[in-house]
Amino acid sequence: MDYYGPNGAGKSTTMNMITGYIESTTGEIIVDGYDIDRKPKKVKKQIGYMPEGVPLYTDLTVKEFVTYMAEIKKVDRKTRKEKVEKIIEQTGLKDVEKKLIKKLSRGYKQRVSMAGALVGEPKILILDEPTVGLDPKQITEIRNLIKELGKEHTVILSSHILSEVSQICNRVIIINKGKIVAIDTPENLEKKAVSKNCVYITVEDPENKMDTIKEKIKGIKNIECTKTNEDKTKEYSIEAEGDIDLRKILFNELAKENITIFEMKKADATLEDAFMKLIEGGNK
Amino acid sequence: MWAVIKKELKQYFCTPIGYVFIGIFLIAFSVSFYFTVIGYGNVNYEYIFYSTPTIFVLAFLIPLLTMRSFSEERKNGTEQLLLTSPLSITKIVLGKFIAALIVTIITAIFTLMYFGILCYFGMPQISTAIAALIGFILFVMAYIAFGMLASSITENQIIAAVISIAFFIITWVMPNFNSNLQSFSFINMLYKYTSGQIDIADTVTFITFTIACILLTIIVMQRRKSIK
Repeated sequence: MDYYGPNGAGKSTTMNMITGYIESTTGEIIVDGYDIDRKPKKVKKQIGYMPEGVPLYTDLTVKEFVTYMAEIKKVDRKTRKEKVEKIIEQTGLKDVEKKLIKKLSRGYKQRVSMAGALVGEPKILILDEPTVGLDPKQITEIRNLIKELGKEHTVILSSHILSEVSQICNRVIIINKGKIVAIDTPENLEKKAVSKNCVYITVEDPENKMDTIKEKIKGIKNIECTKTNEDKTKEYSIEAEGDIDLRKILFNELAKENITIFEMKKADATLEDAFMKLIEGGNK
Repeated sequence: MWAVIKKELKQYFCTPIGYVFIGIFLIAFSVSFYFTVIGYGNVNYEYIFYSTPTIFVLAFLIPLLTMRSFSEERKNGTEQLLLTSPLSITKIVLGKFIAALIVTIITAIFTLMYFGILCYFGMPQISTAIAALIGFILFVMAYIAFGMLASSITENQIIAAVISIAFFIITWVMPNFNSNLQSFSFINMLYKYTSGQIDIADTVTFITFTIACILLTIIVMQRRKSIK
């Protein structure tokens, strides 16, 4: 599941409240049947929290840190050593377990923080912006790790990167200014966002016939040149009436007109569009 | 709670803080030792705890020990790890307090070597030495508790240190300005211990003050949850 919202929407605040770091002013938070205000210890035991900005004790080594986290989470002494080993293995920290955390790169720090959250076998993992500040390779690694973890734990993730959300999550909650604007699966949200039936096309048009195409093909509502490229190709966005799929017609007709198609794409609404639509709707 | 103590001690001794605390205190202690024993020919181990160089370095060393306890956690955000763990705030505060106290006790144990030296050359009194050690530990304990309170109200370590140094110096020079305050002075209480008297009233004062500071620290931490 994912928490998604613009900066300052209240993602981190919500997470801080669920984990018991700050108290809520009104309402109640129930985690796994327990109220956080009444049974904080029980709730906190269920949750593994990776806070924003990866706070770590930089003077400790990786292993010391994970062991410390296991201790404060009251992992049974007999199995503690094994469990710490297992988590270090799982998060790929075996090679650096004896290094001081301050000497590690950002990506590794992120993993250490995640290892800290994972220890103690929490039912719910709460990750606040887990991929911020990483390079693309590290991002892929962390995402794969999260996907892997999603099989065993309930993962609640906060993010403002959309591609991440659509890749990892099964359910999305979009919040804006502290209010929920949508709860749904990423696919459904994408579907809802499709508003226009539109085709994007890149063509080479030496005789400038594209302007006349609107009259020749039925069903075109609007045609617009969006960009002229350096290699003399032009990009157009063509809007169709109703539900007509223009691609086949365009392909045949443009060939007759001696216009070469370089690229053709049907507009696909992304989560981004869904997001923009919801947020704008909320602001109005 | 043991986990917090262990981690704090690790941080004291993985960074220079622990060594600086013990080292500088022992240097000041040695200077006092030189003046009292060699300069005046006194066979007094206990008096050194009350000497000006020792008290003077303590004014700066105790804040060094306590200034980072909560400020640093808050600044780095590691406070979130602690407060979202199943540990109660009371245990976190006590853990940090006990860790700082252990560093003090280690220092006190190191000073015993001066007692050994005196034993070799003369006949120092064991009973007053024990009273002085107890007094010293109680005295430092009170200031550690206050230092932690100072650290819990700010995320800036320097401010935390300045507050606790100021408090130390004020309580140090206070009796010189008004003789009515004599009986409230921690330094005067320490003096009584170093002269061999373990006064119940003084002991209770130290312990009450320590407990009050720890309770206030716990309250500050608890309150911060709802103010953020």
